[in-house]
Amino acid sequence: MSLTATGQRIILSDVHLSYGSQRVLRGLSLHVDAGEIYALLGGNGAGKSTTMSALLGFARPDSGTILVAGHDPIAQADKARDQIAYVPENVALYEHLTARENAAYLLALAGRHPAPQDIDGAFEATGLQTSAWDKRMGGFSKGMRQKVAIAIALLRAVPVLLLDEPSSGLDPRATADFNRLVHDVARRGAAVLMVTHDLLSAADIADRIGFLESGRIIDEAAAQGADRFDVRDLHRKFAREAVTA
Amino acid sequence: MTLLTHELRLLLRSRMALLALLLVALLAAASVAAGMAEVARQRDVIARIQPKQAQDMAAVAQWAAETKDPGTAAYYSFHATWDTPSPLAFAALGLRDVAPYILRVRALGLEAQLYDGEAFNPELALPGRFDFSFVLVYLTPLFVIALFHDLVSGEREAGRLRMLDALTGSGRSLWRRRVLLRGGLLFLALAAPLTIGAIQSAVPLPTLLSVQGLVALYLAFWIGVTLLVGRMRWSSVANAATLAGIWLVLTLILPTIAHVAINRLIPVGEGVELTLAQREAVNRAWDIPRADTMRAFYAGHPEWKDSPPLTDAFHYKWYFAFHQVGDESVAPKVAAYRNGIEARDTAARGIGWLLPSVGVQAALTRLANTDMAAQLAYQDRIRAFHEKLRNFYYRYLFTDTPFEKDDFDRAPTFVGGA
Repeated sequence: MSLTATGQRIILSDVHLSYGSQRVLRGLSLHVDAGEIYALLGGNGAGKSTTMSALLGFARPDSGTILVAGHDPIAQADKARDQIAYVPENVALYEHLTARENAAYLLALAGRHPAPQDIDGAFEATGLQTSAWDKRMGGFSKGMRQKVAIAIALLRAVPVLLLDEPSSGLDPRATADFNRLVHDVARRGAAVLMVTHDLLSAADIADRIGFLESGRIIDEAAAQGADRFDVRDLHRKFAREAVTA
Repeated sequence: MTLLTHELRLLLRSRMALLALLLVALLAAASVAAGMAEVARQRDVIARIQPKQAQDMAAVAQWAAETKDPGTAAYYSFHATWDTPSPLAFAALGLRDVAPYILRVRALGLEAQLYDGEAFNPELALPGRFDFSFVLVYLTPLFVIALFHDLVSGEREAGRLRMLDALTGSGRSLWRRRVLLRGGLLFLALAAPLTIGAIQSAVPLPTLLSVQGLVALYLAFWIGVTLLVGRMRWSSVANAATLAGIWLVLTLILPTIAHVAINRLIPVGEGVELTLAQREAVNRAWDIPRADTMRAFYAGHPEWKDSPPLTDAFHYKWYFAFHQVGDESVAPKVAAYRNGIEARDTAARGIGWLLPSVGVQAALTRLANTDMAAQLAYQDRIRAFHEKLRNFYYRYLFTDTPFEKDDFDRAPTFVGGA
């Protein structure tokens, strides 16, 4: 991936979204720049998954603006999705295909046809063991599956990466590997938005953290200096959010 | 590598899908083989009947010619008729497993001879024949259900649906491609054995194409049903259970109810009842003045009215006349019986527009010439032949012309149908 363009790749401006009578997003506004990692932190029911659905064009907002790489995910669904790599919480790929076959197939679905050596290169970049490349994915751990998904994202060279609870269920080493990968993707110019309820993981990886409560951002923290975040302060903010939520 | 190749690899790596496709191909091949074996057996029986018929006639001619009595010749000579199976009969045996395809007739009353074949053991016919139409109509929907019930729900349950939907261009075109691939492979599994059987049986190309079209339409119907159920966004298990219920209703319950309803609404007697009625009419002739019988006969056949009058001695022309009068006396019942059967057949075909399982079976047996219409057409050919046969012997009987041994060679011969 070689994205050098700058600017806001993800924009949500005063987004309201309801499921029937249930108002889930209530004036959500945020933006993620190219090369930036934004963690959307929130408790259960705060609206994290709905935000992800809205960005993918699966949920239609009642009002407000959503732009993904300049495209409206509802009105220009195909164009918007073409700019997004999405890694769900549980990466479920085809268990009876090998890692290499999964990558080739899913990339073909997205209209990309990389050469086999490019797939190998992406797997290498993610740190997926060589011995796993031609193994069926039935026995892969969550970390290995995430690596395959990230490899696919790398090969798609899209400007937006959406991560849904990426660190849940990962051991510390796998989390560290994954964070390194995400940083790598962001360094190549992609805007990364991850939704999570894991404060430490967010503090480890994000450039900015947005605290989501009842469908809107109630506070934001940006990484500063070598220590990046004051974790105690983050805890206080998150706890307050959790209490008020 | 094209997307279709990717999809093919994905599908064939699934053990269940592979097993289902292999099983369909195997069942189709077995049904085609079984149908071809049955048709070959029927053809063989038909082929063997002709030399046997010649032998039988030669034996009858040997001693009947000694008396030169045309009545004796007519009474003791049986003439074979047969209904040759069509090239496509192997695919849909239809009524050929219960209706006689060979009937040896004499110039006597026909109605009593026509329904001799109905005295088969009905329990033997109960399971029906294992032919291609059975595999297509009853078994194929189950394989469609197996391959399509979790098309979308399976992806949802595996947690892949959101990811697939998020990939550009993977929306409708993905599902369309998967439906076409699964449907195409199912079609291939059914059509390949059928086509091989059809080529071996010399089925005309338009007929083969029509059958393949029917297969495609029937598959499309069931695929449509599975996709409609899939749109309800239920679980795969719920989809499968619902579809199994639909299969049961559409292929077994509703056709059975329709069959019972048609039989109730259009009552038709048994063919054997015609036999009994005709036999009663024939037997009554022994108790009434022979002149009455001859008068009735000449009224319908004035061309023989100048035949010399009967004497007190037995004369076969009286015997053959009262058989014919017996046939004619049950003619209204025969017509009603036939109209009833045709009305039931028409009603069943009408039901076929509502129930695809019935419709496809009706269409297949029509194309294979093994349906009720084909059976009635064979009966018509027998009637026409019987008339020729009667007239042939009448020419000797009613003019007291001696029947020579060579005259047997002049007897009409049946021309096989289909």
